[in-house]
Amino acid sequence: MITGLLLNIIICFAITISSLTFAFVLARNGGEHSEKSKPALWALVAFWTIVGATYLPTTIRMIAAYMGKPTIDTIMYNISAIPFAFISVPLVFFIMYVMIGNKNISKYVSFMFMIFGASYLGLFYSSGAIGPQVTELSSIFIVNSDIAIQIYLMGLFIFPTAMILGLLLLMFITSSITISIHRTVLPLVAISFVFDFILTDFITPVDTIQIASRVFVLVGTVQAFLAYFPQTVFNDRFCAKNNVETCETDENDKTEYEDNIDV
Amino acid sequence: MSDEIDVELEQKVADYYKSIGINQGPGDIQYRLILKVLENNSDRITEFADIRKYTDQFADRGSIGSKIKTIFQLEGLVKKVKRGGYKVTDKGLMAASFLKSTTTFYKKVKRMSDIIERMP
Repeated sequence: MITGLLLNIIICFAITISSLTFAFVLARNGGEHSEKSKPALWALVAFWTIVGATYLPTTIRMIAAYMGKPTIDTIMYNISAIPFAFISVPLVFFIMYVMIGNKNISKYVSFMFMIFGASYLGLFYSSGAIGPQVTELSSIFIVNSDIAIQIYLMGLFIFPTAMILGLLLLMFITSSITISIHRTVLPLVAISFVFDFILTDFITPVDTIQIASRVFVLVGTVQAFLAYFPQTVFNDRFCAKNNVETCETDENDKTEYEDNIDV
Repeated sequence: MSDEIDVELEQKVADYYKSIGINQGPGDIQYRLILKVLENNSDRITEFADIRKYTDQFADRGSIGSKIKTIFQLEGLVKKVKRGGYKVTDKGLMAASFLKSTTTFYKKVKRMSDIIERMP
């Protein structure tokens, strides 16, 4: 019992720290981005902050379960439901803005998701949750409601996922352009990874599935971090630098090359 | 004329092709506009004035006349039917169709590059 819950605590803590650090580093490097990409950048910062804010009470919840304090466990579960309900808001803004480039339309659509999220919270608090059921690996709550709330929740998550897949599809269809896989595709895959496994984490009544989902959320966070701050091995493999242009030879190499051309 | 020509778009498309090293044909705004006008007037004779309506802001009368002669007439894209009057040939319509595909390609590239530009 102790080992499994400890592992769960470590995973939740790692997700919290890595996502909050990622959000902080992204925000700190905001000046490096162009004016056009800034709205999407702030949406990303908000998204990763919300992921961190979701897993911070979850970490405390797991510690409470480990220490045998069900009241704190329940309070933290109810607190973590708040950021969880609004996690799709910055994501929808991000995808809409990247796809259509209109800030106002993106704001309106994400505001709709904010209303959906708020009504989910209303439903959630009015129905309550059954639990905690502490197992070897985790502490499980089940929403005390019929299937409607689950379907509602899936709606809240499936639309943004479909948007991400649509954007990825668009990128693959436009295969005539050299896309920096590392900088464009990898963050999207990471976000959809994190987003979908957070949903699985919250709705599953099975502890093994929950812990597996958390591992995947952690993998997604690391993946997103590597996409924006690539390591040498990624640079070599995917030509991963800050943008597409940097795949070209640098100025000194170019001058040398130009000198060698016989006119 | 069946439909208006978007000169601004044609200029952007030509600039794009120039930026990738294609200075003639798709990258030449005069060539694009002349061919577009000829295509639009495919069912009737294109007067020199029809072409100049679009090209005056980019080129003088002489260079347009010279382009029609040295490229369009020489390569058989148009047939001179009277003084200052031309009729597009099948080959010319084929070139116009190719020009359309260059516009489509430009739009595709532009849309994708805009998306990538907005990605942080």
